[in-house]
Amino acid sequence: MIQYNQFVLDNGLKVFVHEDASTPMAAVNILYNVGSRDEDPARTGFAHLFEHLMFGGSKHIPSYDEPLQRVGGENNAFTSPDITNYYITLPTANLETAFWLESDRMLSLSFDQNVLDVQQKVVIEEFNQRYLNQPYGDVWLKLRPLAYQQHPYRWATIGKDISHIENATLDDVKAFFFKYYLPNNAILVVAGNVTTEQVKQLCKKWFEPIPAGNEYIRSLPAEPRQTQARLKDHLADVPLNAIYKAYHMPGRFDTDFQTADLLSDLLGRSKSSRLYQQLLKEQQLFSNIGSYLTASVEPGLFMVQGNLNEGVTLEQADAAINAVLQEVTDQLVPENELIKVKNQAESTLAFSEVELLNRAMNLAFAANAGDPDLVNQEAAKIQAVTPDSIQEIARQILRPDNSSTLYYRRRA
Amino acid sequence: MLLDRTQAPDYQLVNDARLVAVKTQKLDNGAPLYLIAFDQQPVMRVEVNFDAGSWFEPDDQAGAAFFAWKMLSEGTRSRTSAQISEAFDQYGAFLELNNGFDRGSLVVYCQPKHLHKVLPLLAELLTEAVYPEKEFDDLKTMTLQNLKVNFEKTSHVASVRFREKLFSRAHPYGRSQQPDSVARLTPADAQHFYERRIQLQPFRVLLAGQVGITEVALVNQYLGALPVGPPGTEAMPTPTITTDPTPELIEKAGSLQSSIRMGRTLFKRNHPDFHKVLVMNEVFGGYFGSRLMKNIREQKGYTYGISSNVGAFREAGQFMIGTDVKREFTQQTIDEIWKEIRLLQTEPVGDDELMTVKNYMAGEFVGSLNTPFEIADRYKLILLDGLPADFLSHYIARIRAVTASDVQQMAQTYLAEGSLIEVVVGSK
Repeated sequence: MIQYNQFVLDNGLKVFVHEDASTPMAAVNILYNVGSRDEDPARTGFAHLFEHLMFGGSKHIPSYDEPLQRVGGENNAFTSPDITNYYITLPTANLETAFWLESDRMLSLSFDQNVLDVQQKVVIEEFNQRYLNQPYGDVWLKLRPLAYQQHPYRWATIGKDISHIENATLDDVKAFFFKYYLPNNAILVVAGNVTTEQVKQLCKKWFEPIPAGNEYIRSLPAEPRQTQARLKDHLADVPLNAIYKAYHMPGRFDTDFQTADLLSDLLGRSKSSRLYQQLLKEQQLFSNIGSYLTASVEPGLFMVQGNLNEGVTLEQADAAINAVLQEVTDQLVPENELIKVKNQAESTLAFSEVELLNRAMNLAFAANAGDPDLVNQEAAKIQAVTPDSIQEIARQILRPDNSSTLYYRRRA
Repeated sequence: MLLDRTQAPDYQLVNDARLVAVKTQKLDNGAPLYLIAFDQQPVMRVEVNFDAGSWFEPDDQAGAAFFAWKMLSEGTRSRTSAQISEAFDQYGAFLELNNGFDRGSLVVYCQPKHLHKVLPLLAELLTEAVYPEKEFDDLKTMTLQNLKVNFEKTSHVASVRFREKLFSRAHPYGRSQQPDSVARLTPADAQHFYERRIQLQPFRVLLAGQVGITEVALVNQYLGALPVGPPGTEAMPTPTITTDPTPELIEKAGSLQSSIRMGRTLFKRNHPDFHKVLVMNEVFGGYFGSRLMKNIREQKGYTYGISSNVGAFREAGQFMIGTDVKREFTQQTIDEIWKEIRLLQTEPVGDDELMTVKNYMAGEFVGSLNTPFEIADRYKLILLDGLPADFLSHYIARIRAVTASDVQQMAQTYLAEGSLIEVVVGSK
C-alpha cells in the first residue's frame, strides 16, 4: 500500500507526495507525458535523443549532473514508447537542489548546438552497442513493425534508423521541448523523509513560476484488429535459431491486464511454468523459453520467445508452442495452478514496494494513466482473477490470427 | 523577492549512514545467524552461505562448482526437478543459486507468511540433493547454448580474456566457463563437489527483511537442525597469480564496436590504500561525472559509456577500465585513457572536483543502504572477509580523509606506465 497526498499547481503540474520517514533519502521523479509513440514517423528516436539533451545544461544552470553529485545525489532517466521519466535520489537534507535543477530544465534548456552534436554520436553508439553489435540485438527493430502496422508502437524507442538521429536539428529540439516539456504535461512525485507541506512550499517557489503551455492532446492512429497470422523469416549470423511470437492484448491499466499477466506467468514465468516444463524439460526443444508482456499503456503485446536446441526446426518449435497455447484456450486451468501464479504475483508486488524509488515511479505511472489510486488496486485485481477469466482472455489473445511470428534463423 | 535561478540552494554534507545494526547469534548446530531486521514491507530473504565457490574446484574441472550449485534444485532423494520448482513457485518464493569465486549460496526471497513452507525445502536441498543424468544434460545444453551466444559478444570475450591474462587460467579468478571444459563435466563431478563442499559443511545464515522471533525460531528449527560435520580439511594448493602483460587484439570481423579492457591486479579491502584508491578511481572513471566519461563520452562521443572500477575478492583484487567504442576510435580512446592517467599523476585534483567526488560517494553510500537486502549484502562483505566492525560506520570518514596528494600518489603508484594490461576485441 502506497500512501500519498496530492495537489495541482496553478500551471497544471500535478504533484504527489509519498511520506516515508524510515529513510534518510528522498526520491524525486518527474514523468513527462511523451514517449516514442508521439514522434513524427520521419523523425523516430527523437524522444530518446531528447532525454540525452536534458542533461546538457538548462537556461540558468550550465551543468545538470555536477551540482547534483556535489550534494550527494544520483540521477538517471529512461524513455519508453509511452513516457520519458527522470529520477533523482539524494539525501533529504539537500532536497531543494533537486527542485532547483528540475525546475530550471522544465523552464527551458540551453539549446546548445555542441551538446546536440555530441549526444547524436553518443546515441548512435548506444544504438550500435545495444541493438547492432549484439546477437539478436535487433529483434525489436524487426518485431515491432511486424506486430504494429498503424500505431506508432511500430518503431522502437531507439528509432527506426540511425539516419533519423543523425538528421535531428536544433530547431527540431526546440519545437519538441516547447510542445511536450510543459508543467501541464508532467507529473512530479516526491517520496521519502519529506512532508507534504515542505514539498508544497518548494513547488510554489521553484515550479509554479513556470508558465503552462498549450495542452498536448494525443491523437494517434489506433492499431486495427489483426485478422491474419503474420510470419517473418529473418536470416542472421547468430549461434542458435530463435523464435518470437507476439499477440495483441489490452493495455497496462485495462481491467483485463492482470488476467493476461497471470496467463503469461502460468505459461512462461518460471521453471514450473507450462512452456518450460513441457517444451524445455519434457520435449527438449528449447534451451530457454518464456512468456511476458510489454505492458504498454495502449494495447500491448503478449510475448512468447525461446532459443531452439540444435537439430530442432523453427517450424517444429512453432507448432509445439501453439499446442501449449491451444491447451490453455481449450481447458480451464486447475485452481492450484492459478493459486501458484497469484502467490508469485503477490510476492512480486510486495518486493516491488521495497525500494523507495520504485514506489515513487509506480505512483507516477498510475497517475499518468489517469488515476493514482490504480497503484493500490493491483493486489485486489490479481486476487479477482478466476480460471474462467483466464480462459476467456486466452481465447481473446492467443488466437492464431492475432499472432506475429518472427523466425530468427541461423545462417547455415 | 525575485528568484535567482543561477544560485544553487545551500546544501549539507552527508557524514553519517543510518545503519540498521546486525544481530548475531548461533543456531543450535553452531552455525552463525546474522539478522538484519527491517520492519516495513512483508518480505524477507534467507541466505545460506558456504565456502564453496569455484576456488575449490579441481583445476581440470572448471564449472564443477557452477553445476553443483545450479543442480541443487534439480532433484533430491524424494523430489524431482519439476516438483522442486513447483514447490517453491507454489508459495511465491524465488530461489537463487549463486556461485562466486570464493563462496556459494542458496538464497530465497519470500513473504514471511510462507517461511514455514519454504524452510523444509531448503533443508532438503542442502542435505539430500541428487544429480540425475537427464537434468544434468539439460543444464549442460542450456549452458553451452548460452556460452555460444555470449562468445559472440565482443564485451563478453573481452572480459573473459582480461581475467585470463590478469590471473592466468591456472588461477581460480582467471578461469571462466569455456565450451570445452563444460562439455567434459559429468554429473559425478558436480555431485563430488556437493559432497565435498556443501553437504554437511559449515555454513552461515543471513536473514534480512521483516523478520522477528517467529522467523528466527523457524530458521533454527530447520537450518539449526542440519548436521554439520567438521570443515573440509583437504589441502587446497595456494594458486599463484601470473599476469601476461602483452597487449592483445582479438579481431572480430564486421564488428561495429571494439570492447576495450585495461587494468591490473590489486589488493584486498583490508589494504591501507584501499579508500585512497577508491577515491582515485571515482575521479578517474567511477561515476557519471568522472574524467573518462566527460572526455570520451561527453566531449568526444566515442562511446555510450566508459568506466573504471575496483573489485575485491577474498584473496586478491583488480582494477579495470572498460568500454565499448566505435571501432574507428579504438586507438584514440586508448590514447585518451593514458592521457587522463598521466594528468592524474602529474596534477593534483582540484578542490572542487575532489569535494564533488567525496560528496557523491558519501551520498551514494547512504543511498545504497535503503533496503534490508542492500544492508545485508554490505554486512556480508565485511563479516565474511573478516574486516573490522567499523568498516561501514567509518566508510564516509575514511573517504573524506583522502587528500588531493593521496589521489595523485595512488595514480603514480598503481597506474604507472607498463602496469596495465590491455585487451581489445573488435579491431584497432
